[in-house]
Amino acid sequence: MKPRSISIFAIGFLLLGAAGTAFSHGPGDDGSQIDLVVNTPEEDVTLEAGLAAWDRIYTVTSHPRCSNCHTDERNEPMWSGPSYGKTRPHGMNINAGDSRIGVETIFCSTCHVQSTAPNTVRHAAPHTGHPWMLAPVEFNWFGQTSETVCAQMRDPERNGGRNGDDLVEHIIHDAEIKAFITWGFNPGGGREPAPGTMQEHLDDMVAWTAAGMPCPVDGD
Amino acid sequence: MRITVNGVTTNVDVEDEMPLLWVLRDELKVKGPKYGCGIAQCGACTVHVDGLAVRSCSITAKQVEGRDVTTIEGIGSPDALHAVQEAWIEHQVAQCGYCQSGQIMSAASFLSMHPSPSDDQIDHAMSANLCRCGTYPRIREAIKTAAAKMREA
Repeated sequence: MKPRSISIFAIGFLLLGAAGTAFSHGPGDDGSQIDLVVNTPEEDVTLEAGLAAWDRIYTVTSHPRCSNCHTDERNEPMWSGPSYGKTRPHGMNINAGDSRIGVETIFCSTCHVQSTAPNTVRHAAPHTGHPWMLAPVEFNWFGQTSETVCAQMRDPERNGGRNGDDLVEHIIHDAEIKAFITWGFNPGGGREPAPGTMQEHLDDMVAWTAAGMPCPVDGD
Repeated sequence: MRITVNGVTTNVDVEDEMPLLWVLRDELKVKGPKYGCGIAQCGACTVHVDGLAVRSCSITAKQVEGRDVTTIEGIGSPDALHAVQEAWIEHQVAQCGYCQSGQIMSAASFLSMHPSPSDDQIDHAMSANLCRCGTYPRIREAIKTAAAKMREA
Protein backbone atom coordinates (compact mmCIF):
# COMPACT_ATOMS: atom_id res chain seq x y z
CA MET A 1 0.00 0.00 0.00
CA LYS A 2 1.30 3.45 -0.86
CA PRO A 3 0.36 5.83 1.94
CA ARG A 4 -0.82 9.37 1.35
CA SER A 5 -0.61 11.05 4.72
CA ILE A 6 -3.34 13.55 5.48
CA SER A 7 -3.44 15.43 8.75
CA ILE A 8 -6.78 17.08 8.92
CA PHE A 9 -7.62 19.90 11.28
CA ALA A 10 -10.01 22.47 9.86
CA ILE A 11 -8.69 25.06 7.40
CA GLY A 12 -5.86 25.54 4.93
CA PHE A 13 -3.65 22.94 3.27
CA LEU A 14 -0.04 22.26 2.32
CA LEU A 15 1.21 20.05 -0.48
CA LEU A 16 4.39 18.18 0.44
CA GLY A 17 5.30 16.33 -2.76
CA ALA A 18 4.48 13.37 -4.95
CA ALA A 19 5.34 10.52 -2.56
CA GLY A 20 3.10 11.81 0.16
CA THR A 21 0.46 14.49 0.03
CA ALA A 22 -0.27 16.14 3.34
CA PHE A 23 -3.03 18.54 4.15
CA SER A 24 -2.46 20.53 7.33
CA HIS A 25 -5.52 22.14 8.78
CA GLY A 26 -5.91 24.40 11.81
CA PRO A 27 -7.64 23.05 14.88
CA GLY A 28 -11.42 22.91 15.23
CA ASP A 29 -13.37 24.42 18.11
CA ASP A 30 -12.13 21.72 20.45
CA GLY A 31 -8.56 21.85 19.19
CA SER A 32 -8.68 18.23 18.11
CA GLN A 33 -7.44 16.87 14.83
CA ILE A 34 -8.34 13.91 12.68
CA ASP A 35 -5.47 12.11 10.98
CA LEU A 36 -6.43 10.14 7.90
CA VAL A 37 -4.09 8.34 5.52
CA VAL A 38 -5.14 7.41 1.99
CA ASN A 39 -3.50 4.02 1.51
CA THR A 40 -3.55 3.69 -2.26
CA PRO A 41 -3.18 0.02 -3.29
CA GLU A 42 -0.01 -0.70 -5.28
CA GLU A 43 -1.55 -3.85 -6.73
CA ASP A 44 -4.97 -4.57 -8.15
CA VAL A 45 -7.65 -5.18 -5.55
CA THR A 46 -9.36 -8.50 -6.20
CA LEU A 47 -13.11 -8.89 -6.53
CA GLU A 48 -13.10 -10.89 -3.31
CA ALA A 49 -11.24 -8.18 -1.41
CA GLY A 50 -13.47 -5.51 -2.91
CA LEU A 51 -16.61 -7.35 -1.83
CA ALA A 52 -15.19 -7.81 1.66
CA ALA A 53 -14.54 -4.06 1.81
CA TRP A 54 -18.10 -3.41 0.66
CA ASP A 55 -19.48 -5.65 3.41
CA ARG A 56 -17.69 -3.52 5.98
CA ILE A 57 -18.86 -0.30 4.31
CA TYR A 58 -22.42 -1.61 4.52
CA THR A 59 -22.09 -2.25 8.25
CA VAL A 60 -21.36 1.47 8.53
CA THR A 61 -24.04 2.76 6.16
CA SER A 62 -26.69 0.52 7.74
CA HIS A 63 -25.79 1.53 11.28
CA PRO A 64 -28.41 3.79 12.88
CA ARG A 65 -25.87 6.56 13.32
CA CYS A 66 -25.79 6.87 9.51
CA SER A 67 -29.07 5.43 8.26
CA ASN A 68 -31.32 7.38 10.65
CA CYS A 69 -30.83 10.43 8.45
CA HIS A 70 -30.69 8.55 5.12
CA THR A 71 -34.44 8.06 4.84
CA ASP A 72 -37.00 7.89 2.07
CA GLU A 73 -39.40 10.33 0.46
CA ARG A 74 -41.47 10.60 3.64
CA ASN A 75 -38.67 12.90 4.80
CA GLU A 76 -38.78 11.63 8.38
CA PRO A 77 -35.54 11.37 10.29
CA MET A 78 -35.58 8.19 12.38
CA TRP A 79 -34.72 7.37 15.95
CA SER A 80 -33.38 3.83 16.04
CA GLY A 81 -30.55 1.88 17.58
CA PRO A 82 -29.51 1.04 21.13
CA SER A 83 -29.45 4.67 22.17
CA TYR A 84 -33.10 5.13 21.27
CA GLY A 85 -35.03 2.02 22.30
CA LYS A 86 -37.96 1.22 20.02
CA THR A 87 -37.44 2.25 16.39
CA ARG A 88 -39.62 5.21 15.57
CA PRO A 89 -39.61 8.49 13.66
CA HIS A 90 -37.81 11.45 15.23
CA GLY A 91 -39.82 12.75 18.16
CA MET A 92 -41.58 16.12 18.21
CA ASN A 93 -43.43 15.34 14.99
CA ILE A 94 -40.39 16.37 12.96
CA ASN A 95 -40.52 16.21 9.17
CA ALA A 96 -37.66 17.64 7.15
CA GLY A 97 -39.85 18.12 4.07
CA ASP A 98 -38.76 17.82 0.46
CA SER A 99 -36.12 20.43 1.21
CA ARG A 100 -34.60 17.85 3.61
CA ILE A 101 -33.62 20.75 5.93
CA GLY A 102 -37.09 21.54 7.28
CA VAL A 103 -37.90 24.69 5.31
CA GLU A 104 -41.52 23.56 5.03
CA THR A 105 -42.17 23.53 8.79
CA ILE A 106 -39.25 23.80 11.20
CA PHE A 107 -35.62 24.02 10.18
CA CYS A 108 -33.35 21.27 11.49
CA SER A 109 -31.03 24.13 12.47
CA THR A 110 -33.58 25.41 14.98
CA CYS A 111 -32.29 22.79 17.41
CA HIS A 112 -29.22 21.28 15.69
CA VAL A 113 -26.75 24.14 15.55
CA GLN A 114 -23.68 24.06 13.30
CA SER A 115 -20.58 23.53 15.41
CA THR A 116 -17.38 21.49 15.40
CA ALA A 117 -17.32 21.39 19.19
CA PRO A 118 -17.56 17.89 20.71
CA ASN A 119 -21.01 16.51 21.49
CA THR A 120 -20.77 15.96 25.22
CA VAL A 121 -24.28 16.39 26.64
CA ARG A 122 -26.59 13.37 26.77
CA HIS A 123 -29.94 13.85 25.03
CA ALA A 124 -28.92 17.22 23.62
CA ALA A 125 -29.59 17.83 19.93
CA PRO A 126 -26.33 16.76 18.26
CA HIS A 127 -24.35 19.07 16.01
CA THR A 128 -21.62 18.86 13.38
CA GLY A 129 -19.54 21.25 11.32
CA HIS A 130 -22.13 20.91 8.53
CA PRO A 131 -25.66 22.28 8.78
CA TRP A 132 -27.96 19.52 10.01
CA MET A 133 -30.10 17.90 7.31
CA LEU A 134 -31.37 14.65 5.88
CA ALA A 135 -29.24 13.14 3.14
CA PRO A 136 -30.67 13.58 -0.37
CA VAL A 137 -33.64 11.28 -0.86
CA GLU A 138 -31.76 9.28 -3.52
CA PHE A 139 -29.37 8.17 -0.78
CA ASN A 140 -32.04 6.13 0.99
CA TRP A 141 -30.29 3.66 3.26
CA PHE A 142 -32.66 3.14 6.19
CA GLY A 143 -33.76 -0.50 6.22
CA GLN A 144 -32.31 -1.14 2.77
CA THR A 145 -30.36 -4.26 1.76
CA SER A 146 -26.66 -4.36 1.04
CA GLU A 147 -27.40 -4.89 -2.65
CA THR A 148 -29.69 -1.88 -2.82
CA VAL A 149 -27.32 0.47 -1.02
CA CYS A 150 -24.37 -0.76 -3.07
CA ALA A 151 -26.22 -0.18 -6.34
CA GLN A 152 -27.04 3.36 -5.22
CA MET A 153 -23.54 4.11 -3.97
CA ARG A 154 -21.88 3.26 -7.29
CA ASP A 155 -24.47 4.94 -9.50
CA PRO A 156 -23.43 8.54 -10.31
CA GLU A 157 -27.06 9.27 -11.12
CA ARG A 158 -27.93 8.55 -7.50
CA ASN A 159 -24.75 9.31 -5.54
CA GLY A 160 -24.31 12.98 -6.23
CA GLY A 161 -22.43 12.48 -9.50
CA ARG A 162 -19.42 10.92 -7.80
CA ASN A 163 -16.91 8.48 -9.24
CA GLY A 164 -14.66 6.33 -7.05
CA ASP A 165 -12.12 9.07 -6.40
CA ASP A 166 -14.94 11.44 -5.51
CA LEU A 167 -16.32 8.99 -2.96
CA VAL A 168 -12.91 8.79 -1.29
CA GLU A 169 -12.59 12.56 -1.39
CA HIS A 170 -16.05 12.85 0.14
CA ILE A 171 -14.79 11.12 3.28
CA ILE A 172 -11.67 13.29 3.44
CA HIS A 173 -13.67 16.48 2.98
CA ASP A 174 -16.08 15.37 5.66
CA ALA A 175 -13.20 15.03 8.11
CA GLU A 176 -11.92 18.48 7.15
CA ILE A 177 -15.16 20.15 8.19
CA LYS A 178 -16.12 17.60 10.87
CA ALA A 179 -19.37 16.77 9.17
CA PHE A 180 -21.70 13.79 9.41
CA ILE A 181 -19.36 10.86 8.66
CA THR A 182 -16.90 12.18 11.21
CA TRP A 183 -19.69 12.60 13.75
CA GLY A 184 -20.96 9.08 13.05
CA PHE A 185 -17.74 7.59 14.35
CA ASN A 186 -17.68 9.89 17.38
CA PRO A 187 -21.26 10.94 18.08
CA GLY A 188 -20.84 11.58 21.79
CA GLY A 189 -23.72 12.04 24.19
CA GLY A 190 -23.90 8.33 24.97
CA ARG A 191 -24.84 7.42 21.41
CA GLU A 192 -23.42 4.23 19.90
CA PRO A 193 -20.90 5.11 17.18
CA ALA A 194 -20.80 3.55 13.74
CA PRO A 195 -18.67 0.37 13.74
CA GLY A 196 -14.91 0.61 13.24
CA THR A 197 -12.96 3.79 12.75
CA MET A 198 -13.04 6.52 10.15
CA GLN A 199 -9.59 5.40 8.96
CA GLU A 200 -10.87 1.85 8.47
CA HIS A 201 -13.90 3.22 6.63
CA LEU A 202 -11.62 5.27 4.37
CA ASP A 203 -9.40 2.21 3.77
CA ASP A 204 -12.48 0.21 2.80
CA MET A 205 -13.71 2.93 0.44
CA VAL A 206 -10.28 3.12 -1.22
CA ALA A 207 -10.18 -0.67 -1.62
CA TRP A 208 -13.78 -0.94 -2.83
CA THR A 209 -13.42 1.80 -5.41
CA ALA A 210 -10.04 0.41 -6.55
CA ALA A 211 -11.75 -2.94 -7.08
CA GLY A 212 -14.26 -1.31 -9.41
CA MET A 213 -17.03 -0.84 -6.83
CA PRO A 214 -18.30 -4.42 -6.89
CA CYS A 215 -21.67 -5.25 -5.38
CA PRO A 216 -22.80 -8.56 -3.89
CA VAL A 217 -24.56 -9.52 -7.13
CA ASP A 218 -21.20 -9.32 -8.93
CA GLY A 219 -19.85 -12.10 -6.72
CA ASP A 220 -22.61 -14.57 -7.58
CA MET B 1 -17.48 40.47 21.88
CA ARG B 2 -20.21 42.58 20.32
CA ILE B 3 -23.69 41.14 20.26
CA THR B 4 -26.76 42.74 18.76
CA VAL B 5 -30.01 42.02 20.58
CA ASN B 6 -33.27 43.65 19.60
CA GLY B 7 -31.39 46.20 17.51
CA VAL B 8 -29.02 47.25 20.27
CA THR B 9 -25.35 46.32 19.95
CA THR B 10 -23.56 45.69 23.22
CA ASN B 11 -20.08 44.63 24.25
CA VAL B 12 -20.25 41.58 26.47
CA ASP B 13 -17.34 40.00 28.32
CA VAL B 14 -18.23 36.33 28.16
CA GLU B 15 -16.64 33.02 27.19
CA ASP B 16 -17.07 32.18 23.50
CA GLU B 17 -18.87 28.98 24.46
CA MET B 18 -21.41 30.56 26.81
CA PRO B 19 -24.90 29.67 25.56
CA LEU B 20 -26.77 32.64 24.16
CA LEU B 21 -29.54 32.09 26.69
CA TRP B 22 -27.09 32.75 29.52
CA VAL B 23 -25.83 35.89 27.78
CA LEU B 24 -29.36 37.16 27.37
CA ARG B 25 -30.67 36.42 30.83
CA ASP B 26 -27.61 36.81 33.06
CA GLU B 27 -25.51 39.37 31.22
CA LEU B 28 -28.03 41.52 29.36
CA LYS B 29 -30.96 40.95 31.75
CA VAL B 30 -33.25 40.10 28.84
CA LYS B 31 -35.54 37.70 30.68
CA GLY B 32 -38.17 36.89 28.03
CA PRO B 33 -36.42 33.73 26.78
CA LYS B 34 -36.92 31.02 29.41
CA TYR B 35 -34.72 28.19 30.58
CA GLY B 36 -36.60 24.93 30.23
CA CYS B 37 -34.36 21.98 29.46
CA GLY B 38 -31.04 23.42 28.32
CA ILE B 39 -30.67 20.82 25.55
CA ALA B 40 -32.97 22.03 22.75
CA GLN B 41 -35.74 19.65 23.69
CA CYS B 42 -38.49 22.03 24.85
CA GLY B 43 -38.33 25.32 22.95
CA ALA B 44 -38.88 27.68 25.90
CA CYS B 45 -35.69 29.58 25.08
CA THR B 46 -36.47 30.19 21.40
CA VAL B 47 -35.23 33.43 19.88
CA HIS B 48 -34.60 34.57 16.31
CA VAL B 49 -31.12 34.73 14.86
CA ASP B 50 -31.21 36.60 11.56
CA GLY B 51 -34.95 36.06 11.56
CA LEU B 52 -35.01 32.30 12.05
CA ALA B 53 -36.03 30.47 15.20
CA VAL B 54 -33.13 29.05 17.19
CA ARG B 55 -32.93 27.48 20.64
CA SER B 56 -30.82 29.98 22.53
CA CYS B 57 -29.72 27.36 25.07
CA SER B 58 -27.81 25.52 22.35
CA ILE B 59 -26.17 28.24 20.28
CA THR B 60 -23.11 29.95 21.69
CA ALA B 61 -22.29 33.60 22.14
CA LYS B 62 -19.53 33.33 19.56
CA GLN B 63 -21.92 31.88 17.00
CA VAL B 64 -24.19 34.94 17.14
CA GLU B 65 -21.43 37.54 17.04
CA GLY B 66 -22.23 39.90 14.17
CA ARG B 67 -25.73 38.49 13.71
CA ASP B 68 -29.10 39.94 14.66
CA VAL B 69 -30.70 38.36 17.73
CA THR B 70 -34.36 39.09 18.41
CA THR B 71 -36.17 38.05 21.56
CA ILE B 72 -39.82 38.26 22.57
CA GLU B 73 -39.03 41.77 23.82
CA GLY B 74 -38.03 42.80 20.31
CA ILE B 75 -40.70 41.52 17.95
CA GLY B 76 -43.38 43.96 19.11
CA SER B 77 -44.07 46.64 21.68
CA PRO B 78 -47.05 47.26 23.98
CA ASP B 79 -48.25 49.89 21.53
CA ALA B 80 -47.55 47.86 18.42
CA LEU B 81 -47.80 44.17 19.12
CA HIS B 82 -46.68 41.56 16.62
CA ALA B 83 -49.64 39.86 14.94
CA VAL B 84 -48.82 36.65 16.81
CA GLN B 85 -48.87 38.49 20.13
CA GLU B 86 -52.23 40.06 19.27
CA ALA B 87 -53.65 36.67 18.37
CA TRP B 88 -52.24 35.19 21.58
CA ILE B 89 -54.19 37.72 23.63
CA GLU B 90 -57.36 37.32 21.56
CA HIS B 91 -57.33 33.56 22.06
CA GLN B 92 -56.09 33.80 25.67
CA VAL B 93 -53.56 31.14 24.78
CA ALA B 94 -51.38 31.27 27.86
CA GLN B 95 -52.18 29.29 30.96
CA CYS B 96 -49.09 29.33 33.18
CA GLY B 97 -47.27 31.18 30.39
CA TYR B 98 -43.77 29.81 30.92
CA CYS B 99 -43.40 28.41 27.41
CA GLN B 100 -45.24 31.21 25.65
CA SER B 101 -42.34 33.44 24.64
CA GLY B 102 -40.75 30.45 22.94
CA GLN B 103 -44.04 29.47 21.34
CA ILE B 104 -44.59 32.98 20.00
CA MET B 105 -41.05 33.26 18.63
CA SER B 106 -41.36 29.90 16.86
CA ALA B 107 -44.75 30.85 15.46
CA ALA B 108 -43.54 34.25 14.24
CA SER B 109 -40.56 32.71 12.46
CA PHE B 110 -42.75 30.02 10.91
CA LEU B 111 -45.39 32.48 9.69
CA SER B 112 -42.76 34.73 8.15
CA MET B 113 -42.10 31.93 5.67
CA HIS B 114 -45.55 30.32 5.50
CA PRO B 115 -48.30 32.93 5.38
CA SER B 116 -51.08 30.41 4.78
CA PRO B 117 -50.18 27.31 6.75
CA SER B 118 -52.32 24.20 6.99
CA ASP B 119 -53.18 22.67 10.36
CA ASP B 120 -50.75 19.87 9.54
CA GLN B 121 -47.94 22.33 8.84
CA ILE B 122 -48.67 24.18 12.09
CA ASP B 123 -48.58 20.92 14.04
CA HIS B 124 -45.25 19.92 12.50
CA ALA B 125 -43.74 23.36 13.01
CA MET B 126 -44.84 23.75 16.61
CA SER B 127 -44.52 20.23 18.03
CA ALA B 128 -40.98 20.87 19.22
CA ASN B 129 -42.25 23.63 21.52
CA LEU B 130 -43.63 21.89 24.57
CA CYS B 131 -46.47 23.23 26.72
CA ARG B 132 -47.07 21.33 29.95
CA CYS B 133 -50.41 23.09 30.37
CA GLY B 134 -51.58 21.57 27.09
CA THR B 135 -52.62 24.79 25.37
CA TYR B 136 -51.91 23.31 21.96
CA PRO B 137 -55.43 23.75 20.51
CA ARG B 138 -55.38 27.44 21.39
CA ILE B 139 -51.85 27.79 20.02
CA ARG B 140 -52.98 26.38 16.68
CA GLU B 141 -56.03 28.66 16.50
CA ALA B 142 -53.97 31.71 17.45
CA ILE B 143 -51.46 30.94 14.72
CA LYS B 144 -54.25 30.73 12.16
CA THR B 145 -55.62 34.07 13.38
CA ALA B 146 -52.14 35.61 13.27
CA ALA B 147 -51.63 34.30 9.76
CA ALA B 148 -54.83 36.01 8.65
CA LYS B 149 -53.76 39.25 10.30
CA MET B 150 -50.37 39.14 8.59
CA ARG B 151 -51.91 38.45 5.19
CA GLU B 152 -54.24 41.44 5.59
CA ALA B 153 -51.52 43.78 6.79
